[in-house]
Order: sequence, then structure tokens, then C-alpha cells
Amino acid sequence: MLKRYFEKPPVQNATLVALTALVVYYFAFVFEFKYDFDWAVFSHEGQYGHMGLLMLKGLNTTLTITLYSSIIALGMGTIFGLARLSKFKPVYWFSTCYVELFRNTPLLIQLFFWNFALPYAFPEDIRFKLFDMHFEFWCATVGCGIFTGAFMAEIIRAGIQSIPKGLLEASYSSGLTFPQTLRKVILPLAFREIIPPLGSEFLNNMKNTSLAMTIGVTELCWSMTEVYSLTYRTFESFSVATLVYLGMSLAIAGILYIVNERLKIMSPDRLTPLRRVADILFWPFDFLGRKLEYVFWYFRKSPDQRTISPLRQSLRTVGKQTVRALKALFVAALAYVLYEVGTAVFHFNWEIILANLKTLLIWRFPNGDETEFFLGLGGLAGSLLMAAISIAGSFLIGLVLGMGRTAKNRVFRIPSLLYIEIIRGIPLILVILWFYQAILPVVFKVDLDAFWAATIALTFFFGAYIAETVRGGIENIPPGQVEAAKASGLTYFQTMRKIILPQALKQMLPALVGMFIADFKDTSLAYIIGVMELTRAAYAVNNRIMVHPFEIYTTVAVLYFVFSYFMSLYAKRLERRLSPETVRIEM
Amino acid sequence: MRVLKITAMAALLVLAASVAFAGPTYDRVMSTKVVKAGLSNQGIPFGFINDKNEWVGFDVDMAAEIAKRLGCKLEKVVVNNNTRISFVQTNPPKVDMVLSNMTHKRVRDEKIDFSITYFFDGQKFLARKGTVKDVADLANMKIGSMQGTTSIVNAKAYLQELGNPNPQVTGYDGEVAMFEALNSGRVQAISTDSTLLLGYAAKVPGKYELVGDFISDEPYGIGLPQDDSAWRDAINFTLQDIWKDGTYKKIYDKWFGPDSDYPFPLTSKIEMWP
Repeated sequence: MLKRYFEKPPVQNATLVALTALVVYYFAFVFEFKYDFDWAVFSHEGQYGHMGLLMLKGLNTTLTITLYSSIIALGMGTIFGLARLSKFKPVYWFSTCYVELFRNTPLLIQLFFWNFALPYAFPEDIRFKLFDMHFEFWCATVGCGIFTGAFMAEIIRAGIQSIPKGLLEASYSSGLTFPQTLRKVILPLAFREIIPPLGSEFLNNMKNTSLAMTIGVTELCWSMTEVYSLTYRTFESFSVATLVYLGMSLAIAGILYIVNERLKIMSPDRLTPLRRVADILFWPFDFLGRKLEYVFWYFRKSPDQRTISPLRQSLRTVGKQTVRALKALFVAALAYVLYEVGTAVFHFNWEIILANLKTLLIWRFPNGDETEFFLGLGGLAGSLLMAAISIAGSFLIGLVLGMGRTAKNRVFRIPSLLYIEIIRGIPLILVILWFYQAILPVVFKVDLDAFWAATIALTFFFGAYIAETVRGGIENIPPGQVEAAKASGLTYFQTMRKIILPQALKQMLPALVGMFIADFKDTSLAYIIGVMELTRAAYAVNNRIMVHPFEIYTTVAVLYFVFSYFMSLYAKRLERRLSPETVRIEM
Repeated sequence: MRVLKITAMAALLVLAASVAFAGPTYDRVMSTKVVKAGLSNQGIPFGFINDKNEWVGFDVDMAAEIAKRLGCKLEKVVVNNNTRISFVQTNPPKVDMVLSNMTHKRVRDEKIDFSITYFFDGQKFLARKGTVKDVADLANMKIGSMQGTTSIVNAKAYLQELGNPNPQVTGYDGEVAMFEALNSGRVQAISTDSTLLLGYAAKVPGKYELVGDFISDEPYGIGLPQDDSAWRDAINFTLQDIWKDGTYKKIYDKWFGPDSDYPFPLTSKIEMWP
């Protein structure tokens, strides 16, 4: 009876409205914040200057970094993504190294490395010249670009490889040359495959720029921190920064949505209104494409060219030789880089590394203070513990939200959707700060160790991401199975428990391992609230020694890399076991 | 029915969680016999981690001495420049007192209370030896300071006073990053409280020097929860007792005496109530 009522949309809407009203009522009238809001801090000039202007300046820097680093990332991603498909082995190895190295270490460590360690690799006068040119800003921009580029390279490679080999064979046998195949078959198909994940990388990149604050770039998060430590208006500054990030995420998501709409295959007589808008927006690109096509057609090779003129012949040999020379040059450059890296590693102060390795692995345990968390357990062990606890917790959240997100009932679907989209729209650094300084102490009035605060924040953050994975898994199950289950009299929860989830979870396993890696890498952000995980431990060790940043940050990067890389190998193996047919396109 | 039961349980839990267990800090500390102190772990020589992985420093010793005299156990909590105020500001406070080389300022006193001054410092500039002949040289230099402190605001104002309308002051994340910026040459001078500068300058003996006069007074106070006079009295009396029987001088000399790594003569006196 109740259940049947609940299936009607008006009832669901009413329930949602009632729930919202209840929440609003609770926080507006019942709940004691013990905190007086003062939004005027942003509009009035205070003792330490105009905070609103400070935030605006931060926003400007964030937008600039985001724009530049996106361009760098796209460039790096395209070059290395194509290089990953190269038949020339040194190029392939080099690009593989780039992708694996940068994907499997935390961005924070990379930024620290660029900022603290890299300058020491240059002679002093070059270093000073670098520092004169907004070094921190470019460090953050290029660092974010290179990091995101590694992810984009993988997406582009996977997109190109996803094209069925049969299509290529068909296009070759119908007489198309390789450039034509590339233009007419490979790229259009690959683009359709690539755009959505590429878009989410742009979004991630925007959020990642928030890490630039740790090296002193005055972007939005930096301004926010400055505002709350000068005016002590924690809630106000957090809220403004969060809303701005959410706004930017929504804008990027909106652009992506339109691009997606443009790429969808539709019959011309049944266009959706959005598609018309997208068509108008994309008209300049289409126009350019058509004109280029004309130019290409004009310069096309005639198909029955049996004889080759001597000039063409010599040009061709010159071309071949240039390619060969370039290859040799590349190998030589690679050898030089390897040699340089080798000598650098050889000249490392290994004593420093060995003396501090134990500290980096388990921090002070078991010689720490008894009031500290786990006798001061930290370093790599702390990071792993944090990752394990938070991923276990976020799996539960993700399961519930993922099911809620796919539910037909709005009362479950809309709150899940809101949760997922909001959490995915803000940088992790902000989520951690929210939990540590606002939600846990002020709203829930619990006083937790920084370790637990960060772990809880990570749990909620990754819960949203796992929910999306779960949703994908559930939607992948053929609908016939659900219908069959329903017909044989199983309830919703029985269907989920006995039929859908077991299959979906098995498919999701590689993605979940990937989430664990991401979580492990992101524990480095707990650094910001002083948790003694690996990054903070490295920072403390560096604080003490001061003169060997290169050694310390390299060691930490290697520690992160080793764990992430072996986990990702494991994920790959799982994937291969689940889907045996993989085809490699070479070019 | 089951749904109702679960809802009721959840509601009860929420209620139980929101019943504040705050009380006057003094009573709570005396009944639990634990005093929670917020301390920095990257401010040499006030609170830092030494090469034996121990958390030491002037502030740490002071906190330990206060806890000892109150007959309590000390629980150390990490704070940084951004969190040191908010940790005593929350209700109930995350820590009972904050010793984190924090200057007693009026604007800070609006949010939390302070003990009497327990350390006397002032802001200065640190630069490579010989680069600053005259204070006016500083005006056009790139200066590093710390985010979340008033040092950065002071330094900007001072450079403007020296005649640079648009001073370049970068706020780094903590003392370490700030000193690294000076050491690697990305800024020509750094500015914050002089004792902190001494602490880091001692890392590379003979390379750096303090330049110019104090550009501000920085009397350090212990940050305490707002409007909690029993607790504030207890701390103030304890501080004066520590001064009176010479323990203060002993702790001071351990960190700033002539034979220490960061010699800094003691010139003022703690405020004593008869």
C-alpha cells in the first residue's frame, strides 16, 4: 500500500520537498551553530586589506593556471599518446616511462620536486634567471600540465586503440591511403571515444590547480586560506571558495555536455534543440574543417601513379634519411638523459637516504609519544593505513549511492546525484579542510585526530567516485536479467544482492583497484592539516636536513611509485583476465 | 514499523551527538588531568622535530612545564599558522591552550583570549650576508614570508613605507618553504619574527644575517579559549610561578642562551602581579 504510493512521482516530489524543509528547519532553528556569520568580510576593507579583492585575484590566478596547464596537458597527451603507439621501440619506452612515472606519483610530490629540488640541478646564474620569471607560477602550471598530460596520453592511446581492426582493413582494401584512413576513419571514431574521459581530465586539472597553494602560488585556495587565517571567518571563506569551484566545474561540465551532444549520431530530421545550439556554436570549426578538406582533396595523390619522377625519388630518400637521423638523434638524447640521471643517482648522498628511510617508512612508531595516534605511526605505513581504511569506507558509501543513483525512485536518486556531483565538483584539498575545520568540529561537535579527519574526508570524497563506478557496473548488466528476476518474483534488494551486484562488482574490480591507487596517492593531501603521512614526514625530514631536498623528494617519489605501480600492474592483470581480447594498432 | 524504529534511533543518535559537553576548561582539565596543547612542529626553535625524531622546542618545554605544575598530563596537538586560532575558538575547544610563537594582537584577542606575554620578539629581515648595506635596499627586493601570519602584512606595509608602492612579498606555506626560498635564491630576503629567523639561519652558519631594526613588536601570548577566566588565571599564575623560581630562565637559556644555537638575549620581564 505504502509502497505503491511511493512509486508515484508527485508523492516522491512531496517527500523530497519535505526532506529539504526538514533539513533547512533543523539547521536554521534547532541546530546551534555557536558561530555568527559575517559575510561583510568580503565587501569591506578590513585591517589587512580587502578580502573580496584577494579572492578575486586568487580566482584570476586559478583560471590562468587552469587554462595554460590544460593546453600543456593536451599537447603532452597527444604527443605521448601517439608515441605510445609507435613501432620505434625507444620512443615507445620513453613515452611509457613518462606515463607510468607521472601517473603513479602524487601531484603534490611532483610539485614539491619541481619546486624544491629541480632548481638545484641548474647552475646558479640560470637558477636566478628562472626565479626572476614567476618561477612558482610556472612550476605549478607546467607541473599540473605534465601530470594531467600523462592521464590524457593514456586516454588518447586507448581511444585510438579502441577502433576495431576490421575497419582499418576495410578502409585499406577500399584503396584509402594511411593519411586518409587516419583522417576519415581513425580520428573521427577515436574522438567520439576520447572526448568524455578527456573532458573529465580537464575538470580534474582545474581542481588540481588548488595544490599550487602549497608552493606559494596565490590562487583561489591560497586566498581562501589567507582570508580565514587573517579574519578567522572559516565558514565564510570555505563557502565562497567551494561555490566558486562548483561554478567552474559546472561550467566545464556544461561545455562538455554540448560537445558530447555535437558528437552524437542523430538523423538530420530529428535534431534535439540542444543539438541545434551545439551546431551553431560549432559552425566555425565545421567551416574550417570543410575548407581544409577541400585543400586536402586538391593536394591528393592520384591513385594510379606507377612511375616516380627523379625529383620525387630524391625527396623521398632525403625524407627517409631525415627520419633515420631523427631517430638516431632521439636515441642519443635518450642515452644522454639516462646518463645524466644515472650520474645524478650515483652522486646521491645515500647515507642521508639510508639514515632516514626508516623514518619515512614508519615515522616515529614505536618511539612516539603515547598521546599520539598509534604511537606516532606515520610515513608510508600511515599513508597505506589511511588509504585502506578510507577505501573500505568509501566502498560502502559508493555502493549505497551507486544503487541510489540508478534507482527509479526520485527520493533516492536526486540526493545521491546531488552528493556525487557536488563532491566531484570540488577539490579534495577543500573537502579535507571542510571536514577538519568546519563539519566535524562545528556541525557534529566531535573532536577527532587529524588522521581520522583526513581519513573521513577521503572516505566521503572517494565514495562519490566509487558510486560512479558502481553505477557504470550496474548499467552494464543487460536489462533482460532484471526483467527475468522481477518475473521470477525477486524484490529489488534481492535482485541487487543475488544477481546484479555480484556480476557488476566483478566487472568493477580493476576500476576499484584504480580507485585504491588514487586514494593512496591522495593521502598526500592530508599533509595540509598536519597528518604525518609520507609527504608530511618527508617535509619534516627535509626541514631538519634542509640541504638535500633532491634525495628526500626522490626517495619519497620512488616509495609512492613502487606501491602505485605494482597495484596498477595488478589492476591491469585483472582487466586482462576479465576481457581477453585486446588488439594493438600500430602506426 | 522497522523503518520507524530505525528513524527514531537515528534521531536519538543525532540528539546525543549535539548535546555539547563543553564546560569551563579549568574544571575539565582538572577532572581529566589531561591538558591539550596546540604546538607547531616546524618552527625552529619553538616547536620542531629534531634529528632523533623527538618533538622539542621552547614552546614544547613551556607547555610541558605548565602541565607539570598543573599536575596534568600533556597531550600535544599539531597546529600551524592557519589553525592555531581556530583550534581554541571552536566550541568545545580542540585544544586547551596554544603555544605556537603567536603574537598577542588586538584583532586576535577578539576571537580568543591570551595569557600574559611569555616571550618577547619582533619582526626582522634575514638576508644573505653583505647583500643589504642599507635598509632602503630592501624596498625593491623580492621578500618571502609566511602565509597566514601578520608578518606578510607587516612586511608589505614596511616596504611601502620604504618607498616601493608595489612590493613583491610571497607568502609561503610555513617556515620551511620560506627559508628554502631564501636558501635557493628565489627571494633575496625573508621576514618574520627574529627568533624564527635565527633558528633557520643557524642551519647554514655564517651565511645569513639579520638586517635592519625590528619593524614591529611581537609579544607572544598563550592562546586560550574565550571568556574562561578560571583557566586564564590558572595559566597566568603558573607562568608567573615559572618565572619566579628561575625555571623560565633555565628553559630560555636552553634554547636562546649564549651557548645555544640561536643566541638571543633576554631583555624584558614577564608581567608580575604582586
